[in-house]
Amino acid sequence: MRLKLSALKPLATLPALLALAGCDTGNYRLFHPLTAVAKVQWWATLFEAGIMSLIIVPTAILIAWFIWRYRKSANAKYDPAWSHSLVLEVLVWGVPLVIVAICSLISIRTTLDVEPYAPAVLAKNPADTAPLDIDVIATDWQWLFIYPQQHVAAIDELVVPENSVVHLRLTSTAVVNDFFIPQIAPMIDVMPGMRTEDTFDTPDPGSYTGFSADFSGAGFSWMQFHTHIVTPAGFGAWVAQAAASPVQLSYQEFTKLAQPTVNEGNKPSYFSNAASNLFDNVVTAAQAGVVYPVPDNVTKQVASLEDGGTAATTK
Amino acid sequence: MATQAAPGAGTRLFHPHFEGHDQISARTLGFWLYMLSDALLFTGLFLAYAVLNNPMGAAGGPIATQIVNPVEGMWQTYAVLGSVAAYSLATVALKKGSMVGVMAGIVISILLALVFLGYEVHDLMGLMAQGHGPDSSGFLSAFFVLIATHGLHMVFGILWMIVMLVQIPTLGFSPNVVARLLNLRMFWQFQATVWVLVYVYVYMIGAF
Amino acid sequence: MQVAIQGPWSPLLGRLTLSAIPYTNPILVGTFAVAALIALVVAGAVLYYKKLGYLWREWLTTVDHKKIGVMYIIVGLVMFFRAFVDGLMMRTQQAMAIGPHSPGVLGAQHGYLPPFHFDQVYSAHGTIMILFAATPLLTGLTNVVVPLQIGARDMAFPYMNALSLWLTTAGAILVMLSLFVGDFSSAGWVGLIPLTELPYSPGVGVDYWMWAIQISSIGTTLNAINMIVTIIKMRAPGMGWFRVPVFTWTTLSTNIIGLTAFPILGVVLALLGADRYLGTHFFTAGNGGNLMLYTNMFWIWGHPEVYFLVLPAFGIFSEIIPTFSEKPLFGYTTMVAATFAIAGISWAVWLHHFFTMGAGADVNGFFSIATMLVGIPTGVKVFNWMFTLYRGRLTFTTPMLWALAGLFLLLVGGITGMMLAIPAINYTVHNSVFVIAHFHCMVLLVAAAIFAGVVYWFPKVFGFQLDEKNGLMFFWSFITATAIVFTAMFALGFQGETRRLDYIFNPAWRPMLWTEEAGMMLYLVSIFYFLRMLYVSLRDRVPVASDPWGTARTLEFLTHSPVPFYNFAVTPQVNARDELAWRREHGLDKAQPEAFEPIHMPSNTGVPIIIGMLSLTLGFGLIWRIWWMAGFSLLAIIIAVIIRSFDKNLGYELKPEEVAAMERNLATASIIAEQPARTPLTEAEAH
Ligand code: HEA
Ligand code: HEA
Ligand code: CUA
Ligand SMILES: [Cu+2]
Repeated sequence: MRLKLSALKPLATLPALLALAGCDTGNYRLFHPLTAVAKVQWWATLFEAGIMSLIIVPTAILIAWFIWRYRKSANAKYDPAWSHSLVLEVLVWGVPLVIVAICSLISIRTTLDVEPYAPAVLAKNPADTAPLDIDVIATDWQWLFIYPQQHVAAIDELVVPENSVVHLRLTSTAVVNDFFIPQIAPMIDVMPGMRTEDTFDTPDPGSYTGFSADFSGAGFSWMQFHTHIVTPAGFGAWVAQAAASPVQLSYQEFTKLAQPTVNEGNKPSYFSNAASNLFDNVVTAAQAGVVYPVPDNVTKQVASLEDGGTAATTK
Repeated sequence: MATQAAPGAGTRLFHPHFEGHDQISARTLGFWLYMLSDALLFTGLFLAYAVLNNPMGAAGGPIATQIVNPVEGMWQTYAVLGSVAAYSLATVALKKGSMVGVMAGIVISILLALVFLGYEVHDLMGLMAQGHGPDSSGFLSAFFVLIATHGLHMVFGILWMIVMLVQIPTLGFSPNVVARLLNLRMFWQFQATVWVLVYVYVYMIGAF
Repeated sequence: MQVAIQGPWSPLLGRLTLSAIPYTNPILVGTFAVAALIALVVAGAVLYYKKLGYLWREWLTTVDHKKIGVMYIIVGLVMFFRAFVDGLMMRTQQAMAIGPHSPGVLGAQHGYLPPFHFDQVYSAHGTIMILFAATPLLTGLTNVVVPLQIGARDMAFPYMNALSLWLTTAGAILVMLSLFVGDFSSAGWVGLIPLTELPYSPGVGVDYWMWAIQISSIGTTLNAINMIVTIIKMRAPGMGWFRVPVFTWTTLSTNIIGLTAFPILGVVLALLGADRYLGTHFFTAGNGGNLMLYTNMFWIWGHPEVYFLVLPAFGIFSEIIPTFSEKPLFGYTTMVAATFAIAGISWAVWLHHFFTMGAGADVNGFFSIATMLVGIPTGVKVFNWMFTLYRGRLTFTTPMLWALAGLFLLLVGGITGMMLAIPAINYTVHNSVFVIAHFHCMVLLVAAAIFAGVVYWFPKVFGFQLDEKNGLMFFWSFITATAIVFTAMFALGFQGETRRLDYIFNPAWRPMLWTEEAGMMLYLVSIFYFLRMLYVSLRDRVPVASDPWGTARTLEFLTHSPVPFYNFAVTPQVNARDELAWRREHGLDKAQPEAFEPIHMPSNTGVPIIIGMLSLTLGFGLIWRIWWMAGFSLLAIIIAVIIRSFDKNLGYELKPEEVAAMERNLATASIIAEQPARTPLTEAEAH
């Protein structure tokens, strides 16, 4: 059985109205989804809030009304023995049950729709071109994006062409991070020695901020990356520019980059000739016990002006 | 509701002779609950072992088939079961009120437990000597910690028995001492059960 | 086999060196000065008034459940205050460190706390609030109330009860110690893995976190055993299961959760300890370790733990709402069923804390539905409270106001929890401050229940009421502050603010962050009224009747206020579910027993506090790797347990005449009265 999400749309307008009433929501990034995946997430948010409001709001109003109506000084009808009613007791179990059933349907539907490995929404109207594959490696505390087909790589800058589908493979060198671009890509954990995937479609050209959403140590607060959605021509130009970088990304070079580093302002850097098996090498190395330790003195120096301070860890 | 009645002639408001509660049964229930928590502790360790007992967890090192020997483990199993049996004889003697009988049973129980621990220490040392210590892979970590945690429980059991060997002659079969002897029996049987589970899961299933 | 650690180590002091003392940090030096001053004043007062002996004989060595409960509550309040200060520090940092050009003071590049400090602050805040504030406060309340509510003389195992208290206290002291000696963990209250492994946390912080929790959670497990046995075995005659008060029911269910969940926490921390101390590979990313094992095991405990907190809170509401509605609780049976349904389902939902880990849609879907099912029994509770109000006669005393405010917090926390439970939504707000706001609604509901409970039962224990006027001011300022802070935080969640940020990279969040800071100032006002409430009540000490509220319904309000140390001179016979209400209805509530019987009481003992303090030194030795200290403490604990097992003390007996005298002059039996030395029973007398 498939639930018709559209049938519930009127419901969803309630919290949306509340949210939009009178205030500018420009800052509310999650209210402005841009991609098909993000739109499903936002609709799920509205539906869930709407359906739950159907029971939460009346409950709140009733409680408030009873508090007012039955205050002692009001001398309302007082029934000191009333403590049981079969009808009501069936209702208090039954109504929430029905609502949870509806929520469950929404949950299953939308979870399949945005499933990061293979989102069903994107399968509905497949793009004409194959997805763009990008390998993502989180280090302490930067993001490395490798374009295996283009043989280039960039730190703290993700550039993708508009109106296409992007497929990421993600891993981490050291600790667990969480990859997230609000309005665009759903969150997914990035774990050392393991690989996860994330898939999303891209909107019209624009610039956004992505970041780590899972605490990963002292440099975490600075772990953002620029996300640029560009035209196909712009993408070609960007790849060419990166390919012109004198720095070639071998595994050797990578192990240097992966040392704990805070990149204040997230200044991007580019690499040519990215080794095609770099991602797999990093995963295997982590499984074999390679670590990139963060000694206490590094932790202490991050964003600190004491003992030598920031300079040691900031580029 | 039926739980509420109007007071009548026979209604009592106080219960002067109420003697609180039955100490022994409360204590037994408490000990059962403690063992439940201990069982959960072992569940956690079994869980870790189950997750790490695979080639991934072995990280290139040995896995269960290569390091456990179901035959040796069997001698250990006999030692543990023998120890429990000896303790049961001690409880039989307790029913008869025989101090000597109880103490003899406990001494045999301790000796057999020591045999068990001897095997275990020998096994674990042997593995470490071959370079397969708990720090060499996730699987070996889980193996060592599971076995050693059970071993530690056995050590505490032995310690408890030694204390009882002192208490029986000095305090006699006071209610406290008897309660302790009975709880110790439960504890000991429980450790034997855990060992049997370890034996079946780690030594038998793991060996094939 | 022990792993090598960075930095110096000596056999005598382990890793401890002078540099572990943060004497250069002005904030910590200031804190230390204040703490030392308070300690000196307290110690001085105790010595000046010659109360040291009293303190030792009547409190530190007590096995009386009420005194133990009160001490739990004191520990909890002190830790609550400490964790509040942590919260204030976090909010202030985030209000200052906004954008790349924000100035820094006190050695920080932005704001006043560099990440090294900030991360410890939120980790300590979360750890303390959950394990050393909310847990002891609730354990304290259940300790005080449950034996009284079921008409028992004490807990089933009074000695073990004291032991639980001192183990919890030892853990709390360790956390406080980390302020002044070394550092605390910076890996969150959940111990984010593999951040807690040696390569990423080489210092002692994680060890402090780990051992403090480990020691106190042994205390919690013992307390759970004690409570379950007490409730099963020690109910007064006539109290069948269908007459058990709802607060006792929730205590039972919560302690079943405690007993079954805390051992898992113990294991997972021990395995982490093995990784850090012995170099094993349980949770490392490489060498065959599995870090997802940690995350799963932690939340298998962690999720039930939050219901461990909320169920007693629900129990408190279920006592207070009927009392001040002058009506029985609506739907008693469904209430009890809902309690156990919540406890049961809580075991099957842990994965909702990491939907983003990349499990398939099937796994996430299953846990999503399981999570949402909890909403049904919780809803039942809300509706039952609502119908209890219906056609009642409501009086708005402070306990009632706290309870009603708690209901609204539950609704907001519930709707947001349900949203988080949908993976598609979770992928946008996981680890954002939306989550923080969700669970603060819930934990502040718990806090509201605690304040409600403290005000409700305080007169029972001490014989005088807490001042209502200041209590109301405390309530209103606290609740308004909560509304301000957490409404703004929900907004920030939708703006995409991540949790645990030392530095705010998006200046657009400034207005909401400053709104939150304003709320924090109001919290400060609330603390002022709290302290003033205590002061005024202590100054005036208006004595109260055995039922100070006049409309209470349960057994604990049948005995005198202040409760004599033997609880009930004669064990009451239970005739109805709401025994006191029933007696009042039939004009029997003033009835007193005609004759007294001897009362058998347990003697006080110093062993629990000694074992508690030895576990403190054990923990300290382990944290700093001072092996002799750890070894000596462990040995001493074992010896203490063995020596105690040879103890022949059989308790003492109160003679009927003595009881009669104390019943006439209650002050001599109250919680603060000093008792004369009493000779223990001999073997012959006991039989
Ligand atoms: C029971 C649990 C509990 C409670 C009650 C609170 C209460 C509060 N918390 Fe909470 N908090 C957590 C548990 C709790 N917290 C947890 C688990 C985390 C996650 C940590 C992590 O990320 O790892 C967290 C994280 C957390 C953050 C997140 C930081 C981040 O990740 O970005 C913030 C930020 O504002 C915050 C603020 C507050 C505030 C303002 C309160 C206020 O509501 C506090 C109000 C309290 C008072 C006003 C004190 C009243 C005291 C008295 C009346 C006693 C006085 C006594 C004496 C003087 C002796 N908390
Ligand atoms: C006392 C504490 C407490 C309580 C009671 C709850 C209750 C609930 N919690 Fe919460 N939660 C926490 C404390 C608590 N939580 C903490 C501390 C964290 C974060 C830890 C960390 O990461 O640091 C967390 C995190 C958390 C997450 C993970 C978020 C993330 O990290 O991404 C989720 C996701 O599902 C969740 C869901 C729920 C749900 C569905 C409930 C439900 O039980 C709520 C049920 C209540 C209602 C639904 C309202 C009343 C019902 C009605 C009026 C009837 C109508 C309702 C229906 C029809 C359903 N919680
Ligand atoms: Cu979680 Cu890999
Ligand atoms: Cu949860």
